[in-house]
Amino acid sequence: MDALIMAVDEVATGLSGDISGSLALIGYGLAAIGPGIGIGLVAGNAVQAMARQPEAAGMVRTTMFLGIAFTEALALIGFVLFFIA
Amino acid sequence: MERLILAASECDPEEQIICTPDSVNDLFELPFFFGDSLNRTMWLTLFAGLLVVAFFYFAFRRKSLVPSKFQALGEMAMGFVRDEIAIGIVGREHGLKYFPYLASIFFFILIGNLFEVVPFILFPVTSRIGLPIFLALITWFIFLIAGIRAQGFGGYFGHLVWPPGVPTALKPLVGAIELVSVILVRPFSLAVRLFANLAAGHVMLSLLLLSAWVFLAALPTGNLAGLWGLLWAGLGLFIYLFEILVAILQAYIFTLLSAVYIQTSVEVEAH
Repeated sequence: MDALIMAVDEVATGLSGDISGSLALIGYGLAAIGPGIGIGLVAGNAVQAMARQPEAAGMVRTTMFLGIAFTEALALIGFVLFFIA
Repeated sequence: MERLILAASECDPEEQIICTPDSVNDLFELPFFFGDSLNRTMWLTLFAGLLVVAFFYFAFRRKSLVPSKFQALGEMAMGFVRDEIAIGIVGREHGLKYFPYLASIFFFILIGNLFEVVPFILFPVTSRIGLPIFLALITWFIFLIAGIRAQGFGGYFGHLVWPPGVPTALKPLVGAIELVSVILVRPFSLAVRLFANLAAGHVMLSLLLLSAWVFLAALPTGNLAGLWGLLWAGLGLFIYLFEILVAILQAYIFTLLSAVYIQTSVEVEAH
């Protein structure tokens, strides 16, 4: 029992101990995952649409850029936090 | 850039292989002529504007039915904005009315962005938040005024806070979200998108190419770690090509979104 408490104490000191640096950077890294997946979905589905219906490629491309722009905004707001934080 | 290279050459590559500038501002804020009152960004902004005006002045100075190569290039560029963005997005009815504004911001932002990859300039003027905010505010005023003119003050803001075609129970919620998104989020995200893309690209290029320079400069001292410089140089040149794409794409996206916002304002929704 004592050994267990000591182990937990060690882990706790290890967790609260040596980590340093800006939390904003980790936050940005996490925040970039979502838009990354989102842009992948947008571009992938646009490619599929263009392959299935090449006549509509122009319209699909414009809409794809719009979708990418809206999705990307979230990641870029995270980038701005770097300057604020 | 000069001060940065100076800072890099002052440090000893053997002791400290990556030399950091004093602050991030050193990457951006360099006084240039006239001390602090007019910095390089302002001169380049002015230069970008003059460049656009001069290009189209000389392209369309002597218009002829069979265009010269220069005129054909100008017509192609203008035709792209008119057909793809103004008429394609805003619509045949209102598109041509907003075409001059859309063309102006497209070419101004394009030149401003491309300064990022032009040798000896290597600085995108749109990577300072002031310029994107100003451009986004112009778009904001234009789409608000366009909406008020098309639907009347009460009609435009009425449709925003009390959207038609939504179940009555949801109207307050959707209206509140719409109002915040149109009044606040639109100009903010428009400005931040342009700024952050170009600032990130500039920081990335500066880091990679300066690292390459510092690492390779350490090679003659016999420090084999300097060979990493080849990797940084290769990666930097790849990002350099990528940034040309980003510069053109961001100018396109800013104009495209401006057109979309104007279109949603002038289009009177069916009840």
